[in-house]
Amino acid sequence: MPLIELKNVSVRYGEIEALRGVSLSVEAGEVVTLLGGNGAGKSTTLRAISGLTKPASGEIIFEGQSLTGLGPEEIVRLGIAHVPEGRRVFPGLTAHENIMLGASNRSGVSKAQIDQEADAMFDLFSDIRPFQHVLGWTLSGGQQQMVAVARGLMAKPKLLLLDEPSLGLAPVIVSKVFEIIKEIRRRGTTVLLVEQNARMGLSVADRGYVLETGRLVVTGKPDELWNNEDVRAAYLGGHARTAAKT
Amino acid sequence: MDIVFQLLFQGIGIGSVYALVALGFVLIFRATNVVNFAQGEFSMVAAFLMVIFSVDLEWPYWISFILSLGGMAIYGALFNLGVYFPLRHRTYLPVIISTIGASILVSNSTLALYGPQPQVLSNLLDFPGFNIGTVYLDTQYLLIIGVTVVLVAFQYWFFEHTLLGKKLQATSQDKEMASLLGIPVATMIMVTFVYSAMIGGLAGILVAPILFVSIHMGGTIALKAFAATIIGGFGDVAGAIIGGLALGVIETFGAAYVSVPYKDGFAFLVLVAFLVFRPQGIFGERVAEKA
Ligand SMILES: Nc1ncnc2c1ncn2[C@@H]1O[C@H](COP(=O)(O)OP(=O)(O)O)[C@@H](O)[C@H]1O
Ligand SMILES: [Mg+2]
Repeated sequence: MPLIELKNVSVRYGEIEALRGVSLSVEAGEVVTLLGGNGAGKSTTLRAISGLTKPASGEIIFEGQSLTGLGPEEIVRLGIAHVPEGRRVFPGLTAHENIMLGASNRSGVSKAQIDQEADAMFDLFSDIRPFQHVLGWTLSGGQQQMVAVARGLMAKPKLLLLDEPSLGLAPVIVSKVFEIIKEIRRRGTTVLLVEQNARMGLSVADRGYVLETGRLVVTGKPDELWNNEDVRAAYLGGHARTAAKT
Repeated sequence: MDIVFQLLFQGIGIGSVYALVALGFVLIFRATNVVNFAQGEFSMVAAFLMVIFSVDLEWPYWISFILSLGGMAIYGALFNLGVYFPLRHRTYLPVIISTIGASILVSNSTLALYGPQPQVLSNLLDFPGFNIGTVYLDTQYLLIIGVTVVLVAFQYWFFEHTLLGKKLQATSQDKEMASLLGIPVATMIMVTFVYSAMIGGLAGILVAPILFVSIHMGGTIALKAFAATIIGGFGDVAGAIIGGLALGVIETFGAAYVSVPYKDGFAFLVLVAFLVFRPQGIFGERVAEKA
């Protein structure tokens, strides 16, 4: 049984059909990347899983249980943490406070315990340790991304959803973020990683899916996807070339 | 010189009431992004509850006080459920109209029940006041100032040092993200309305012996609280407190040195002056940074 399975999920925003019958699955322990260009429906897929957007049809099953009708607050309690696009760090709270709030889905944990766990996060995210008592809005994009991922991990998720963690970051920061994703993978957390940057996404993944205008077009292992001529030409090549140029 | 201290004392006393109401106003604004036009009625309803319990029923002051505050907690919860919650996914405009409607409904219902004649609520303490030098300290004003100091300190501790306080702040900054973390957003907003109604009610009960208890009390207090938040910078908690105190002092001095009948008009003047010349409030930059 996969950890999570999407069966024929469609999502509409008014007239726009953002997802058209998407089916995909992630096994426990896997890192799966969801690739695709801007507007392909990657974020919508993650929003449907975490309950921010209700599918018009289809079903999402997590650990054998249907998520239909559950809201984001309930879904995160089941063990799915969503680190959304744009990081969404609370601007008026410190990095440390932001990270502490990541544990809000777990009941019966004392404030002292959460405080300690948040401190421990700075071992993995040592770059932001000096900024832990600084307000969110003063952090750089890369620092905010690290806070957002650390906050996601505080939920002790069975499944971590990461939406474009590399977006808008300098290359050297991007590789730092991906080092952290590799470490998360080593610790055994299942990850569904959304990326426009195909090279980075495939570098950490066990498998990948490619999404185009709301439809899954191809799936496979990283090297298969990377070497698939059609895929490269249509979805990945463009980005690979852009990446090489910059 | 003594007259200056005397006026300062009274100004800070009445300003504390404005500060408390403004505080409740700002908390709701930050949590829901909605300007609550029925904020003043929180104070009016609480004052009328006090009249019911302590004057009409002649129950002891402290029991009446606790019952009134408890009543305001319930009122805040009902207000949230009836006025805000059904419209929470709409834009701010329907919600604002809803709060205006609630304000009219509540003050007119009170009018229907109690008629237009103002009610009188006596001071909490039998001991009316004392002199320090030539400055007369009225105990009701001292009480107001004392309660405000304690409440502001409590609120600071609560928001800065408890997890619930942090969750409330997170909710006011980004509701969708808060819900993704498992913070119960609807409950956080409920807590905000209940707390806001209670501090507004507390302000109403404290100021009732100074003003008359009437259906116009809500409108007057709401205008002052609104002016206070503009002075302090809209949406800023510390600004609301400073703005409330500043307004109390300004209008007390205005009444003493310029004109007594226009006392309430000074709030308007200050409001307009700030809107024209310094719309970001005294602490403008800090608020912008916090946004
Ligand atoms: N809130 C929304 N309202 C209307 N259309 C939306 C909304 N969010 C996304 N869309 C549309 O849905 C499609 C998929 O968007 P999205 O999932 O954000 O793509 P991606 O994350 O792959 O860039 C796009 O055409 C986008 O314009
Ligand atoms: Mg996206």
